[in-house]
Amino acid sequence: MNDRHIVKSYDRDLEAIQALIMKMGGLVEVAILESAQSLENRDEELAERVRKNDRAVDELEERVNQECARMLALRQPSASDLRTVLTVMKIGANLERIGDYAKNMAKRTGVLVQMTPIDGSAGAIRRMSMAVEAMLKDALDAYIQRDAELAQDVRMRDMEVDQMYNALFREFLTFMMEDPRNITACMHLHFIAKNIERMGDHVTAIAEQVIYLVTGEMPEDERPKADRTAVEAPRV
Amino acid sequence: MTDIAAGPRRLSSTETVRAGLGRRKRHQIMLQGLGLAAISFAFLMLATLVGSLVMTGHKAFTQTHITLDVYVDPAEIPAAGLPRGGFRDVMTAALAERIPGVESRAELRALGAILSNGAQFMLRDRIVADPSLIGQTITMRVPVSDPYDQLKKGLIDRETPEAFRRVKDQEIAWFDTLMAQGAITEPFNWALFRNADSRFPELAGLKGALIGSAWALLVCFLISFPLGIGAAIYLEEFAPKNRVSDLIEVNINNLAAVPSVVFGLLALAVFLGWFGMQRSAPFVGGLTLALMTMPTIIIATRAALKAVPPSIREAALGVGASRHQVVFGHVLPLAMPGILTGTIIGLAQALGETAPLLLIGMNAFITSAPSTPFDSATALPTQIFIWADSPERGFVSRTSAAILVLLTFLVVMNALAIFLRNRFERKW
Amino acid sequence: MYDNPLTKRTAVTHEVKISARGVNVFYGENRAIKDVDVDIEDKTVTAFIGPSGCGKSTFLRCLNRMNDTIDICSVKGLITLDGEDIYAPSIDPVQLRAKVGMVFQKPNPFPKSIYDNVGYGPKIHGMAQSRADLDEIVERALRRAALWEEVKDRLSSPGTGLSGGQQQRLCIARAVATEPEVLLMDEPCSALDPIATAQVEELIDELREQYSVVIVTHSMQQAARVSQKTAFFHLGHLVEFGETGQIFTNPHDPRTESYITGRIG
Repeated sequence: MNDRHIVKSYDRDLEAIQALIMKMGGLVEVAILESAQSLENRDEELAERVRKNDRAVDELEERVNQECARMLALRQPSASDLRTVLTVMKIGANLERIGDYAKNMAKRTGVLVQMTPIDGSAGAIRRMSMAVEAMLKDALDAYIQRDAELAQDVRMRDMEVDQMYNALFREFLTFMMEDPRNITACMHLHFIAKNIERMGDHVTAIAEQVIYLVTGEMPEDERPKADRTAVEAPRV
Repeated sequence: MTDIAAGPRRLSSTETVRAGLGRRKRHQIMLQGLGLAAISFAFLMLATLVGSLVMTGHKAFTQTHITLDVYVDPAEIPAAGLPRGGFRDVMTAALAERIPGVESRAELRALGAILSNGAQFMLRDRIVADPSLIGQTITMRVPVSDPYDQLKKGLIDRETPEAFRRVKDQEIAWFDTLMAQGAITEPFNWALFRNADSRFPELAGLKGALIGSAWALLVCFLISFPLGIGAAIYLEEFAPKNRVSDLIEVNINNLAAVPSVVFGLLALAVFLGWFGMQRSAPFVGGLTLALMTMPTIIIATRAALKAVPPSIREAALGVGASRHQVVFGHVLPLAMPGILTGTIIGLAQALGETAPLLLIGMNAFITSAPSTPFDSATALPTQIFIWADSPERGFVSRTSAAILVLLTFLVVMNALAIFLRNRFERKW
Repeated sequence: MYDNPLTKRTAVTHEVKISARGVNVFYGENRAIKDVDVDIEDKTVTAFIGPSGCGKSTFLRCLNRMNDTIDICSVKGLITLDGEDIYAPSIDPVQLRAKVGMVFQKPNPFPKSIYDNVGYGPKIHGMAQSRADLDEIVERALRRAALWEEVKDRLSSPGTGLSGGQQQRLCIARAVATEPEVLLMDEPCSALDPIATAQVEELIDELREQYSVVIVTHSMQQAARVSQKTAFFHLGHLVEFGETGQIFTNPHDPRTESYITGRIG
């Protein structure tokens, strides 16, 4: 199969919407890292900037939707082109959600800086967010290179994030039991950890879209899950 | 890299186009001028031809007549002797009544020559039809003989010395007297269409030729139309495309270009020689013309069949029509206007054809119209040929008149072809 | 309605109407169709797509032996209709074509009245015993072609006076008048405007209830809209044959993919 369409503007349009997605992905990656950094450094200014930057992600998602709608109407894409447009729309939605979680982290940072820091928690959250950021980066690379194997790898790595979340969950529980004054801060930190875990799920969804784009089929095996907090009582 | 600015400035495309525009316009005007000149020349030639024919021919459409009160003298024409009798003398006597002082036999004979040779037979036919007219005085209007017809129409110059003139001074005087008496009239020459050929121009007509041509064309049509269409349908729709059919096709196209005299020779050898058919008969003429017309009809029919869009054939085949149902139910009806047009043009060509008819003897001198296609007859073009050959002055204008009649028929047939084409042309 | 995933779904399968095995078509020395095997189902619209000259029309014309009219064309292999070899010596093409109707690219009504256009097939096949019979057949065919309401008051006016879309539906009525079992359509909408195209497409979908319809089209969107099965032809080969949804979202052969996405291939 040749890569180029007979109608050259078709190629340009397809490239344009994929460029939008990449730009969006870049903004979201930065938002993940910066929100974690602002939490670790108790940097209110950076947190404020992350919150503001999310608007750009929302706008980009809106543009991606418009371009995809236009493309569907004007070019009636089929086969791999159709799958490209469909996955672009879904990935856009996923990225937008990830952006929202990052913004939420930054918001909670604004509250947390006014409280006593919980030892070690900021570092753990930063590691977790870096893992998610790396997954997102790989997922987007897999998208650009149409690399289903890399996407499958990303999908598997979500388990690590889940395990990190499990560990943090238990840790916060311990802190709260030790000293009830920690409860407010730990609740916020827990939400942040949960948000990062959700980001991982969205990245997994993106990876699955990449697999659909490349193979034409959604992965049929169970999504790897290690977040047991919802189904088991914690052993402390 | 070459320096563009250093070279001569390149003309922009508009300028290049404009530079060549004058030349292109001149070429166009020249071409149009040439076309116009060609058309004008052709039109001029046609106008000259028709003009000269009308100039000489129009006089043949009238004929000088003389009106006489004829006393049917029972002494000259006894009822018992019919159909014999002194008809000529009675007519001459009636003429002598009008010109006093003509006594001698020589003078009487000269006076009698004013009347057409046919006048006495007209009187005879009338008396035979009604013998009770014997002993009475009847009014007869009869043609004058050719020299006096010429004189009336101004074709004989009165200034010419008497010795070189066909009518003498004395005879001109008699004729003028008759004119002064109001006995001379010049009505439409119905005889041109009602009479068959004659040695005497004033009596000669085209009836025999017209009927002969009609018979010949009918025979030609009845033979060439079905045979031509049949051959064309077979070749176009059913014949396998191979070397044999290619050969046949080439031969048919060549046949259409064979000079007509060759067909005449063929007919002479085959129809007259081998089959011993009758000479001069329109039936044989029709057969000969059919030989000639058939290739034209085959070619026209094949072209018309080819012009029927394949979508119609496919449509009919698609609902399960067999090949002959396709051809006879759809293709042929749609091709019919084209076929008819081709046929009429072929027949018009046959109508004007002379050479093959000459060879089978349709240029015989026959004074009665044929009543069947097997009677001897002439045809229009051969009649023109005969008249053009005749020495009498009266035949000069009659030849032109006959050509005009032939041209009229050709124009009518071609007009019919155009009418059919426009009327039945289908849009699909 | 659709409770299993696309990739596992095939069109509701009907019994096989036309079956082709190892079909090769030659134009003189030139092999236009190369070893085509295909099963065309009853009560299904099957679309043939492919670039110009890929042999899809040629193959379509094998199915009612329209290629017989071309001297240099020869068909090898086996094509069966209801299990019967249509190229067997005992089968007359005339009889076959009454059973396998055809609609052509350009609307080609006969230059006759609407009534005569529709009644022609039944008449030549002797399907009507009386004028009343024929009236009934004509009305039924026109109704089936969704044309009856538009022309019932002017059955005696010429078929060529109708609009392009109406003419094409008249041709469909003419084809269904002989009660065929299979309808072959060779680019039936290529000469029509979008409204008329939509009407013909709707009609094709309705005809599916009674006939096996095979349609050759250059418009992939049309193939996607009207067909349940799609066959992609390329250079005389049948490259891919499958459920239409699958062909248009996830074709297996790269040649199919290139063609339907409009890539240089």
